[in-house]
Amino acid sequence: MDFFADGLRRGAALILSGDPEVLGITWFSLQVALAATVIACVVGIPLGFVAGTTRFWGRRAALTTINTLLAFPTVVVGLVIWGLLARRGPLGGLGLLYTWVAIVAAEVVLAVPIAAALTAAAVQAVDPRVRRTALTLGAGPWRTHWAVAREARYAVMSGVIVAFGRVLAEVGAAMIVGGNIRYQTRTLTTAVALATSQGDFSLAMALGLILLALALTVNLLLQLFQGRGA
Amino acid sequence: MALSLREVEHAYAGRRVLAIPAFDLEPGKVAAVVGPNGSGKSTLLRVLACIEAPTRGTVLLEGLPLRTAAHRRRARLRITLVEQRPLLFGGTVRANLAYALALHGLRGDQAGNRIRDSLARLGVDPLAERDARSLSEGEIQKVAIARALALRPEVLLLDEPASAADPTSVGTLYRALEEERQRGAALCFASHQLEDAYRWSDRLLALTDGQASPVTPENLFRADLPAGSGTKTVRAGPLTIQVYTDKSGPGIVALPPDDILISTEPLHSSARNAFAGRIRKITEDGRGGVTLTVDVGVDLVARITHAALAELGLTVGAPVVLSIKTMAVRVF
Repeated sequence: MDFFADGLRRGAALILSGDPEVLGITWFSLQVALAATVIACVVGIPLGFVAGTTRFWGRRAALTTINTLLAFPTVVVGLVIWGLLARRGPLGGLGLLYTWVAIVAAEVVLAVPIAAALTAAAVQAVDPRVRRTALTLGAGPWRTHWAVAREARYAVMSGVIVAFGRVLAEVGAAMIVGGNIRYQTRTLTTAVALATSQGDFSLAMALGLILLALALTVNLLLQLFQGRGA
Repeated sequence: MALSLREVEHAYAGRRVLAIPAFDLEPGKVAAVVGPNGSGKSTLLRVLACIEAPTRGTVLLEGLPLRTAAHRRRARLRITLVEQRPLLFGGTVRANLAYALALHGLRGDQAGNRIRDSLARLGVDPLAERDARSLSEGEIQKVAIARALALRPEVLLLDEPASAADPTSVGTLYRALEEERQRGAALCFASHQLEDAYRWSDRLLALTDGQASPVTPENLFRADLPAGSGTKTVRAGPLTIQVYTDKSGPGIVALPPDDILISTEPLHSSARNAFAGRIRKITEDGRGGVTLTVDVGVDLVARITHAALAELGLTVGAPVVLSIKTMAVRVF
């Protein structure tokens, strides 16, 4: 227990001292997670909206696929992106493997299904009278969609936060495609894994505490939006 | 003709819920649609409102068929529907009306005047600045109707407009609709209140199972008909009724009001169906006769002449016996 408490204490001291490496890793992680979330939302929210509101052939299959992708193992995503970006892979010429771009790409793949599935669920949960009322008042298709989107906005926002939380906490894919290179592609999660395996328990604990604090913030935001939507 | 249906059928998941060969709404006229729950009233109104395209058949606006989504979209700027449980968007009552008017390109003073005017007509002007989500069901219904009136539609459709209204606002509501009729709008409302339907409409469409019903819509009961042919005893709501039919399974039993005999004592007659009850209401039927509403465990309506009413000395609250022959009970 002393060992654990000591690690915790020294971890906290490391954060409070403003250790440049700890801050650098945190900042890098946040940038990557934000970039991945923004891209995933730009793709996933419209996708989820269409799947949730319009009737087309194969809609059920599309929704099932999106929901299945929610549980996609992150190391497999890492593996696939690695295969694509590796020197001998189809996109190897771009030289993106072990860069922040590769991590963002892998995390986008992980986050798109979350943004899409939660958006689809959010718009499906909107009272069907919203659409009908907009129509009876003379709204065209775009304004009708807008009325539905407006009603679903808090639930969609919750989806965005869940996606952000997922990419921030993700470790497998970031490790495989980012390579965990110091000062370049080291994220909070990959750094925790490395520091632990190297026996630097206080650094791992410091980073772990930051991750926890971020996760707490994400959850507080989530509760805020879910409370508004209720 | 403002709005017409021709050979319209509508189905949900392959199940036909509406089949109307012809139905017309005319400017300056009020049509009422009556029928039991699930008879297709709301579906009919949604098809008329062009928010659902019929599975088969044609909706015509001033004789022009509405075939494409674009046609229906343009038609919806001239037609509006207030649903049975209408929805107001988040924001104030005023914002709700302003939104609807903005969809029709009306803003500023013009919109402001319409909002004031239509809220006042329904007696809900004091609610203008209230949050729409804080209103009672009755208030929501009135505001939703005011929102529809503000649009000055050529065709105004209302699904059970008085369902959440208290008795005083029912009068206000129907008077507002009467003004719409005088303005030249074509009106159609669905109601389960036959009295309202008779009183406020020029024409009545009775629906049962999505089809125009062959009899007047009073005294209709859903019943499970036993197998076999000939005379059967069926349970219809709280009543046990003898009917003569070859049909079996789910069906509708109707007691035509003109075929019901009224007496003060049980009759010794060929009528096999007799129900004792008390008169709840006596009203003019608008055709020179009198309509009696009698509570026999459920309200039954019977029509008699003024002479018969006077001769029997019937008053509200008086005990009476309603009799009807087995062969006069309609089954379909």
